[in-house]
Amino acid sequence: MTVTRRNLLRWGAAAAGAVTASGLLAGCGGAERRPVPPLSPGQDPWRRFAGTTINFISENTAPTAAIAANLQPFTELTGITVRIVNLELSALVQRVALDMASGTSQYQVIYADPYQVLAPYSAGLADLREFIEDPSYPVLEGGLEDFIPTQLRAAGSFEQEGPVYALPYDCPTMIWQYRADLFAAHGARMADDLGFDPTPGPDRTWDEYRRIAAWFTDNVDEVRYGTGHQAKQHDSLMCDFSNVLWSYGGDYFDAGEQVGLLGVRDPGRCTLDSAEAIEAARFYDELLAVAHPASRTWDWDGVGAALRAGEIAMCPNWHEFAASNEEAFPGAMGYAPLPSGPTGSANMYGGCGIGITANASGAERGAAWLFVNWATSRGTQLDNLRSSAGGGTPTRGSVYELPEVVRAEQRPSELPNMLAGPAVRAAWEPDRIGLRPKIPMWNACDTAVFTGLSQMIAGQQDPETTMRGTARRVDQIVARGWHA
Amino acid sequence: MTAPALAPGTRDDSARAPAAPGGARAALHGRSTGSRVAVAVVLAATLLWTLVPLVWMVLGSFKSQADVTSAVPRLVFAPTFENYRNLFTGANDLTPYLWHSVVAAVVSALLSVVVGTLAGYGLSRSVMRHKDRLSFWIISTRMAPIAAVILPLFLMFRVAGLIDTLPGLVLAYMTFNLPFAIWLMSAFFSEVPPSIEESALVAGCTRWQAFRHVILPLSKAGLVTTFVLCLVFSWNDYAFATVFAGPDSQTLPIAASQLVTQTGIDWGQLTAIGTIVVLPMVVAGLAVRRWLVTGLTLGAVTGE
Amino acid sequence: MTAAEPTARAGRRRGLTFPGLLLTPGVALLAVLSVLPFLALVAMSLSRVRLLGGVRLEWVGLDNWVRVLTDVDMWWSWVRTGAYLVLTLGIEMVLGLAVALALHRVLRGRGILLSLVLLPMFVAPVIVGLLGRYLTDSTFGLYAWFLQQLGWEGDVLGSPGTAFAAVVLMDVWEWTPLITLIALAGLTSVNPSLLEAAALDGAGYWAGLRHVVLPSISGILLVALLIRAMDAVRYYDIISVTTNGGPADATKTIPIRLFENAFRFFDLGYAAAIGLMMLLLTIAIARAFVRLLGTRGIS
Repeated sequence: MTVTRRNLLRWGAAAAGAVTASGLLAGCGGAERRPVPPLSPGQDPWRRFAGTTINFISENTAPTAAIAANLQPFTELTGITVRIVNLELSALVQRVALDMASGTSQYQVIYADPYQVLAPYSAGLADLREFIEDPSYPVLEGGLEDFIPTQLRAAGSFEQEGPVYALPYDCPTMIWQYRADLFAAHGARMADDLGFDPTPGPDRTWDEYRRIAAWFTDNVDEVRYGTGHQAKQHDSLMCDFSNVLWSYGGDYFDAGEQVGLLGVRDPGRCTLDSAEAIEAARFYDELLAVAHPASRTWDWDGVGAALRAGEIAMCPNWHEFAASNEEAFPGAMGYAPLPSGPTGSANMYGGCGIGITANASGAERGAAWLFVNWATSRGTQLDNLRSSAGGGTPTRGSVYELPEVVRAEQRPSELPNMLAGPAVRAAWEPDRIGLRPKIPMWNACDTAVFTGLSQMIAGQQDPETTMRGTARRVDQIVARGWHA
Repeated sequence: MTAPALAPGTRDDSARAPAAPGGARAALHGRSTGSRVAVAVVLAATLLWTLVPLVWMVLGSFKSQADVTSAVPRLVFAPTFENYRNLFTGANDLTPYLWHSVVAAVVSALLSVVVGTLAGYGLSRSVMRHKDRLSFWIISTRMAPIAAVILPLFLMFRVAGLIDTLPGLVLAYMTFNLPFAIWLMSAFFSEVPPSIEESALVAGCTRWQAFRHVILPLSKAGLVTTFVLCLVFSWNDYAFATVFAGPDSQTLPIAASQLVTQTGIDWGQLTAIGTIVVLPMVVAGLAVRRWLVTGLTLGAVTGE
Repeated sequence: MTAAEPTARAGRRRGLTFPGLLLTPGVALLAVLSVLPFLALVAMSLSRVRLLGGVRLEWVGLDNWVRVLTDVDMWWSWVRTGAYLVLTLGIEMVLGLAVALALHRVLRGRGILLSLVLLPMFVAPVIVGLLGRYLTDSTFGLYAWFLQQLGWEGDVLGSPGTAFAAVVLMDVWEWTPLITLIALAGLTSVNPSLLEAAALDGAGYWAGLRHVVLPSISGILLVALLIRAMDAVRYYDIISVTTNGGPADATKTIPIRLFENAFRFFDLGYAAAIGLMMLLLTIAIARAFVRLLGTRGIS
């Protein structure tokens, strides 16, 4: 019984701690921050924090899979141990917010989704200029200028130019992914039946996309359905719909582009009840009616798996799936910017940066920067491209110019993710890239949007009611403001 | 494990062949072929409904990537240990998760049983004025919705530095295990006639000695049942772990939900984790099957 | 052992009796783990909770309560939660009783059969949910494949109706065994001579069941119902890993909405108000449970 008694006492102490704690519930500040230990003379700046352990919390995305599979170069370079926690996006957002709220820094390096982490919690992220401008750290090779400018602003800043909260780490962008083998085999017959050239690209309209999809479903045995969508009641449904929304001339708010690029605290009135937005919803509803019925249960992973399983002939999805597509159907996948609506082609940008929690302190704070610097460096991005674990594509312009990378855009490709390169670069043209609103209350707005859409595609309400209701909900959420 | 003083009703006798007189059985069990067929059909359907998912999970854990997601279900396949091997090697080694799960579940069950046994005995023998209200308060804490409890607990744990620690997880599990243990042990102790302690006291024992050396040994079945059920509840927890666990305290259910990754869900590994999570609890649970009814109804049903 | 006991609460005027002394540590610990959170929950429901840079509560009066009570979406979630409770509990009671009656007729091998039937109860709910997804996946799910062979082309978790049915059935799969177990204990405890009077065979079966068997185990069945009701309000794991509220909000029950508001939108004050409403509901069920025990003279 003695062991038990000791436990009892220990737990009694923990309980007593909890009592005291709850007394302090109101008005307790964050933990005190220790200074970063200085660089001693003659020391290699990369080895400065050897022996430190840091945690990196990331969405389970391609670049993190590649880095997790090959952390050795960083450990050898710096002597720092990095533990990676890989989570599904909504779980990640929850953990990050809780960590910041707790005033501690369980996770020093944070995968800062611009919409779900950066905008609501920019006050909890360190301004990276603190490290970039400090000469005692290794220099940021290529500088900030090397990052693709739109991505640096979309993934790294909030509200104003200047502070850099995150460095662009991945850049998934939604493009048209299709079975080129099926288009080659059936293209001529399809052209005869449909009366237009079905070759995928921004010259196709969304309506033609829908007709191609229906044609595949009716006429081709290799796949069960023509198109599949990430239309689960989830963030992914908002992403999938946004492409259509923008290409029909609709948007979430009036100053759409500004709200998307830098982000604002008060975006003004929601414009989802505009005639263009309602028209877009009407089309999306028709599109989903011909799509694989399981679309309503798929997020991006689900629709990616379906394409690889030969369930569908084409889908809009993040370009980072190219490498795994190539494994499933070597040589058979094709990529193009998404079809156009009345006002052109829009391709949702879903890139994220990695940043450092403002609560990080001491050697961990410095070590976190070394990791951020290394993980977004030219060499690491090239290694990610080569990784057998998938790897994503670079966020630095200079990497795309390397001869090895340019070569990989053609088959046989050593870096299969680059097969989507030409399509994705076309999608990044300023008039084609789609940026969703970067506002702090986006999580709640996003939920209102995809919930409404989910009800629409389930046949519970018509497009007009859906868009009007969603606009009203978004206005209410925005009116409440954001209090982090 | 024989407990002569334990009222026969505290055991679930239903599992044994009833010793009722033949006439009653004849009436209750029916003899016509029709009713026998009906019973067989009901039971066969029940077994299918119950076992197919579990069997399919265990089979899946021994299938290759291609077999586990083949469009046409495969009953015959070349078994592989690949999934289990992958779980314990590579970047996401399952060993720490397993360890966290074991520690958090065992420690919280143990502490709950110890504290709950004392309090349960106290509750069953106490003659205080507001005993009813106290009992009610205890049971209502057990039934409080997890989602409602997590919020304030998170803020408290955060101040106490218990987030992402095993003690924090153990304490969180005690929010539902402790009231359960108090209530259940109290029910088990109520079955022990007070005359037993009285005779121990007459024989010269102190009250503590009477409890420790006479009553406790009589309640072994209750202790074991309470421990096992607390173990199952905390081992299977997902809601608390999603909020309170971090890199230093992730548990198996969290590991399972994390296998949902961008390159698709690895169903082979997922079914393997499922098997690992389920197997020990099934063994532990069935080991106390005779007392399960009492345990799971918090002592309300004793089989009498 | 007594050395570890004395705490602040031990200072009653007349001193503690021996049972009171044993009761103290457990009650004290439980108080920390339940009374404090409860008070914090009340305070939060009256505040705006700010997180960054340390937790702060800003008094907003009844704002959160007004929002909870006037939000139409919220009321739909209550309706859905009600439907979920009625369906899961109803199906579980009927199936559980049927299986118990069948098992009760088995004379040899009942132990083994019962053990097999009980298995789902020990499966972690999160595994039940993931397994449910695996079985109903329209590409490779075993059950989806059967449905396709029967000519049904849809996707189980893709339509509001079937998705709702699926999460209900997953709960039914896991918890019907509990009802079976309890009902079987009840049947075994029924006085055999009572049953003798009722000819439980052939045409007389249903009458006997209704007039003799059910009345004599109704108390026990009610206990089972209440226990399940309290747990069904608590649990959210299965829905969280399968549909997480979708499609079209069809499975967005109150616990899911609470988690969403708390840990996705970090609208903690609003979430606290929802939490307190849930608490009221379970306390009402718990009261009924305890009353029932009181009348049966067990507690």
